[in-house]
Amino acid sequence: MTAALGQYLQSGSFWYVLAFVCCAAGALIPGLLVVTSRNILHSALWLLPCLASVAGLFLLLGAELLAAIQILVYCGGIVVLVLFAVMLTHGLGHADVRVVNQQLLWGFIGAAGLAGIVLHMLSRQMWPVGSSLAPGDVTGRLAEALLSPYVLAFEVSSIVLLVAMVGAIVIARAEPE
Amino acid sequence: MTSAPFIPIQSYLVVSVLLFAIGLVGVFTRRNAIAVLLGIELMLNAANINFVAFWRYSGGAQMEGQVFTVVIITVAAAEAAIALAIILNVYRRFRTVNVDQINLMKG
Amino acid sequence: MLGGYTLLLIPGFPFIAFVLIAALLLRRGERVAPFVLIAALLGSLSLSIFSLALTEGQKSFSTALTWLQVGSVTLEVGVLIDGLSCIMMIVVCTVSLLVQIYSIGYMKGETGYGRYFAYMSLFSGAMLGLVIADNIAQTYIFWELVGICSYLLIGFWYRRPSAAAAAKKAFVVTRFGDLGFLTAILILSFQHHGLLGPHSVFGFRQLEHLVSSGAIATGAATVIALLLFSGAVGKSAQFPLHIWLPDAMEGPTPVSALIHAATMVAAGVYLVARTYFIFAAAPAALFVVAIIGMTTLFLAATMGVAENDIKRVLAYSTISQLGYMMLALGVGGYAAGVFHLTTHAFFKALLFLTAGSVIHAVHTNDMWQMGGLIRRMPITALTCLVGALALAGIFPLSGFWSKDAVLSAIWSSHLPGHQVMFVFALIGVALTAFYMFRLWFVTFAGRPRTEAAAHAHESPLVMTAPLLLLALLAAVAGGLEFRVPLTAGGIAEVVHSGTGPETASALVIAASFLLAMAGIGVAWAAYREQHISPGAFNARFPGVYHLLKNAWYLNRAWELFASRVVIAGSRLAAWFDRHIVNGMVDGVAWLAGWTANRLRTAQTGQMQFYALVFICAIIAGLIVVFGRDQTLLALVMRRP
Repeated sequence: MTAALGQYLQSGSFWYVLAFVCCAAGALIPGLLVVTSRNILHSALWLLPCLASVAGLFLLLGAELLAAIQILVYCGGIVVLVLFAVMLTHGLGHADVRVVNQQLLWGFIGAAGLAGIVLHMLSRQMWPVGSSLAPGDVTGRLAEALLSPYVLAFEVSSIVLLVAMVGAIVIARAEPE
Repeated sequence: MTSAPFIPIQSYLVVSVLLFAIGLVGVFTRRNAIAVLLGIELMLNAANINFVAFWRYSGGAQMEGQVFTVVIITVAAAEAAIALAIILNVYRRFRTVNVDQINLMKG
Repeated sequence: MLGGYTLLLIPGFPFIAFVLIAALLLRRGERVAPFVLIAALLGSLSLSIFSLALTEGQKSFSTALTWLQVGSVTLEVGVLIDGLSCIMMIVVCTVSLLVQIYSIGYMKGETGYGRYFAYMSLFSGAMLGLVIADNIAQTYIFWELVGICSYLLIGFWYRRPSAAAAAKKAFVVTRFGDLGFLTAILILSFQHHGLLGPHSVFGFRQLEHLVSSGAIATGAATVIALLLFSGAVGKSAQFPLHIWLPDAMEGPTPVSALIHAATMVAAGVYLVARTYFIFAAAPAALFVVAIIGMTTLFLAATMGVAENDIKRVLAYSTISQLGYMMLALGVGGYAAGVFHLTTHAFFKALLFLTAGSVIHAVHTNDMWQMGGLIRRMPITALTCLVGALALAGIFPLSGFWSKDAVLSAIWSSHLPGHQVMFVFALIGVALTAFYMFRLWFVTFAGRPRTEAAAHAHESPLVMTAPLLLLALLAAVAGGLEFRVPLTAGGIAEVVHSGTGPETASALVIAASFLLAMAGIGVAWAAYREQHISPGAFNARFPGVYHLLKNAWYLNRAWELFASRVVIAGSRLAAWFDRHIVNGMVDGVAWLAGWTANRLRTAQTGQMQFYALVFICAIIAGLIVVFGRDQTLLALVMRRP
């Protein structure tokens, strides 16, 4: 048995599986904590490991650039933004106030139902086995894809960002007295 | 670096579904508007995992999966900014961020 | 050969005159108005005579313009020239022409002089359009148009309340009949549409084909015929829709002469004659026509006996004579009925115009305020005598020939009960002679009863000339029964189809002549020589007196009907409208509100609730898709 274990440890698969389990757990458990914390600040902060784990999953899948983007944008940008909002809306007080609303039960059932059905569907399918060959020069090909066939999407997304920025400023502006 | 073929695609998909469901629970049950937004972010990330997994396990030659993921991240960022701006505005108007207290559209 | 479209000028000339007169009125050129109309009528008359020559008796032709095409229904404006329409055209043109000349004198100095002639020209055009129509829809349109003109002319002195009321009564009563007429047209159109191809089924010739080919069941033909006849009952003042005609005497006398004696009221008879092929296919309808005709002629004759107003006597006489025409048509005497229509037009118009002459001179309608006028107004008196003799049916005037044609047709018809009808017709002859000569003796004979009568003077030439011409026509029109140079045959052949006037049996001639003389004799005895006293008679038979005086209480009956039955019906309809129709509308509104209130509960205003509903819908969709169709999912997964 030890030999089998040793052989297993020798092959790279063990490390991969370990990495996967860590990232998956790192996504799911903090995710759970995000939605169940009483303290909104804690919720926001638990988002950080969750998102970082998702970046890890991207790495495991071979999408390095995407993992980097995930860290930069999500962890670096969005979480900070959320923290700002939390500060500005004084959501921290009143510890005895209810955190969940009336539809706790039905919300849970709905989400569980959806998950159940989709998992059931997934279990019934035959899935392709991925090739072990690394897709070469992912980043280069992604860049090429963004700038040739999907340049429109690329440009439009930048416009969306611009509009969102202006919009956010306008919406969040203090009322002129 | 690649985790295939050691980790079947189903694993990633299951993670994606579970994360999505968790996010869904957050959207359905939390009172604080910012908490709802956090749930939405989780859902978006679950979708992203899905996309990248399929990109990888369908050969990795066609880049559509990653492109879409980039776009999703971009849009999520824009949406988060706007959403938070709206929440600030709502907070100023209603003095609360509890979504169940903001029901002027009732009836 | 003139294009058939030229014949459209026959009604076209008077319509153009109408427009011109209306324009002249605006420029205060009233005095020219009658001459415009007379010129138009002369044009129409010449075209009518020309078209009569064209037909050469038997031939008939028609042309039509498509006027309006809506979906599969085509309305045409057309001209049908055959013996019947020729006769009618010539009668209308002639009488109208003479009446217009007369009116120049009668209406002199009246306010609305120009308006009078405008209405008269509109009427003439409409009447001509009615008689030359080649399809039943056109007939209906002009039918309504003459009804309007009648309304306008009866109510010519509209400031007089009785005149306005009479005009309204005329219109409303004839409306009852018109409804039947329209229904008949609709039934014909809807039930038999398409049987004759894409064009309209309204043309008379096409309808005749339809009926003769047996495409219309007897039951349907009976219904259609009866409905058409109801229109005729209204327009020709048959029982029970006769009540409007005596009141229509409120209009100027020339109007009564033209419209309510010679032409418009003849339109009903014309309609029955024109659609006779439908009646021929429905013997039950013919029987009804005969019965109504018989009833009318008897009742109206009895009512005429009790009237003291000259025009009202003549009005009842018209109703009675129209009854004769209907009776003739009903028993199958098509040619006899149309012949009587023609002669009646002449002598009745004459009688009305003489009455107008008298009224114009004495300024009253009441015959008991006249008397002895034969000395003061000899031309009027003599022409009136000619007319009275013609009406009574004395040889050799036109009325003799036409009345005997009618009586012979009744005698020799095959209709069940025709013997009873014959008896009533004979009684009618006696009564007709009696009341007509009662009128003549009281008005013209004896001594003047009032100052006005004593100082009356004869009417001017413009009025007496038409009287003389009409008297001539009333005298010689009987010759139409025999060969006349202008036509290839007498009216017997000009008006084709149906039975011709039988050579009257001597018995019938003798009977009617004797009865007519008896009637004249009694009138002479009662009113000229005072041998019999009407007062004593009335005292001995008060019931009869009151019955006749009140026109068999028929006006009262209609009044009751209108106030009880019609109003009750209206109340029911109003209730229905208020509660059921409105109720339905309100109910729909209420339902919308109720549903909205129920559905409102879904609008909680809670965004998370909406999101939950959304997810539940997705779950349901997934179950449906996944559960039902595995292959769909396989397609989605793109399995090789």
